[in-house]
Amino acid sequence: MSLELPRKRFERRSCFLKRARAFFEERGLTEIDCFAFRKKAPIDAYIDVIEAEVLPNIKAFLHTSPEYELKRLLALGVHDPYFLGHVFRKNDLGRYHHIEFLMAEWYRKDFILEEMIEETAQFISLFIPNTSLEILSYDEAFERFLGIDLSVISSEELKKKAILFGGSSDWDDKTIIHFLLSQKIEPHLGKKGLTALTHYPKDEAALAQTTFLNGKEVAMRFEIYKEGVELANGYQELSDAKELKNRFEKENQRRKKEGKEPYLLDETFLKTIDQLPSCSGVSVGLDRVWMLSEKASSLQQLLSPLLDDWHNPSFTKSL
Amino acid sequence: MKVEVDKEPYLVLINEFVKPGKGQAFNRIKLKNMINGRVIERTYKSGEKLDLADVEEAQMRFLYKETDGAVFMDEKSFDQVTIPNDVIGNNEPWLMEETIYQVVFYKGNVIELVPPTFMEMVVTETSPGVRGDTSGRVLKPATTETGAKIQIPIFVEEGEKIKVDTRTAEYVSRATS
Repeated sequence: MSLELPRKRFERRSCFLKRARAFFEERGLTEIDCFAFRKKAPIDAYIDVIEAEVLPNIKAFLHTSPEYELKRLLALGVHDPYFLGHVFRKNDLGRYHHIEFLMAEWYRKDFILEEMIEETAQFISLFIPNTSLEILSYDEAFERFLGIDLSVISSEELKKKAILFGGSSDWDDKTIIHFLLSQKIEPHLGKKGLTALTHYPKDEAALAQTTFLNGKEVAMRFEIYKEGVELANGYQELSDAKELKNRFEKENQRRKKEGKEPYLLDETFLKTIDQLPSCSGVSVGLDRVWMLSEKASSLQQLLSPLLDDWHNPSFTKSL
Repeated sequence: MKVEVDKEPYLVLINEFVKPGKGQAFNRIKLKNMINGRVIERTYKSGEKLDLADVEEAQMRFLYKETDGAVFMDEKSFDQVTIPNDVIGNNEPWLMEETIYQVVFYKGNVIELVPPTFMEMVVTETSPGVRGDTSGRVLKPATTETGAKIQIPIFVEEGEKIKVDTRTAEYVSRATS
């Protein structure tokens, strides 16, 4: 790959973008070029938002996803909107992470979760061909790959697992579960085709509805993986403003616990969200999809030569 | 970078940023124990702090051997230190006068002696070479002035100086100097 003319890579990228757009156009979706600067930040314990001074003493946030704007438009009656563009996340830098990346996000009125999973798999298959789809629930994944029953496992047993796999027994249950998911489960997902992991714990519902599965309340949320890399995150969307406000406040509490600053609630969003029609939505990390389609093993192999410095050890030595 | 884990010094080999779908970011690190050489893997929450190991390196000149170790002198400070035989370990055949070695200290104690990758030394003992009748690379055993036992090509004679790779104890070439 290093011997190839950079020109060819950019030409392929251009075709890639055209094919993505064609997928949405064929289905009659409406493209929205969402604003990157927003007055309010999304409230998530583990997503850090980049802030910039846009006017003297006035700061704005760079969007981490177009979710809030697209949902407001859906509530206004815009038909099945989609966004294809860059989003920004502070502190995310690694083999599969970059602070700025290409995202495709779209919403489908009256789609249920399973329909959204199917359409997302179709979209990804445009770029990574011959992909079968396997659907597995979060709890099933812990059972299958770790022999753990999340509904009965004790904190002591979790700590033992943490130490066994090179983590720390000082961590709380939630951290250990995230650690086990990323170290011991994710690498096994999407080995043959695509794997959709569904029905996350209810406290990880974010902006998704919840439902009951085997007597347990779970989030109507899915993530699609290929070769252990997360490519998509989707929900059957929640429109209940009161519940959403509750969740945002809980996330702010988590942020404070992690030593992070809490963010102000987006009151405009909360005022209009009750008018959101029933729908499902998904966001796809297109740089990662492209990475897999180009058979590269990291984002840095593909990003423009101009951006290589970000992943250069001497540049990031202070991180 | 050298860090301290479970009160021992480790060299950081790989530091990988990992973040699951909607969750906590972690750093997965591969570490090599600087005392016993074992490689381990540990994961930390991103942002967690690790103590730097009190590891120092010095360039030291070999002076002479003693019964329980060897004496070296720091090139800069002229301090002398005796490195015990168990730390010298397999590097005993590479001790040679007028040679500078890298010495690694942890909390003031020597934990490792690193000889130069290539060293030149005289072959003090070997059998004479046999000409002709060789279809490939044939080697014969030899001993060098430092007592190192290595295999050398049959055309190299006693008294000749050769270049040796101290990592593999292999003949590299005839000495250039």
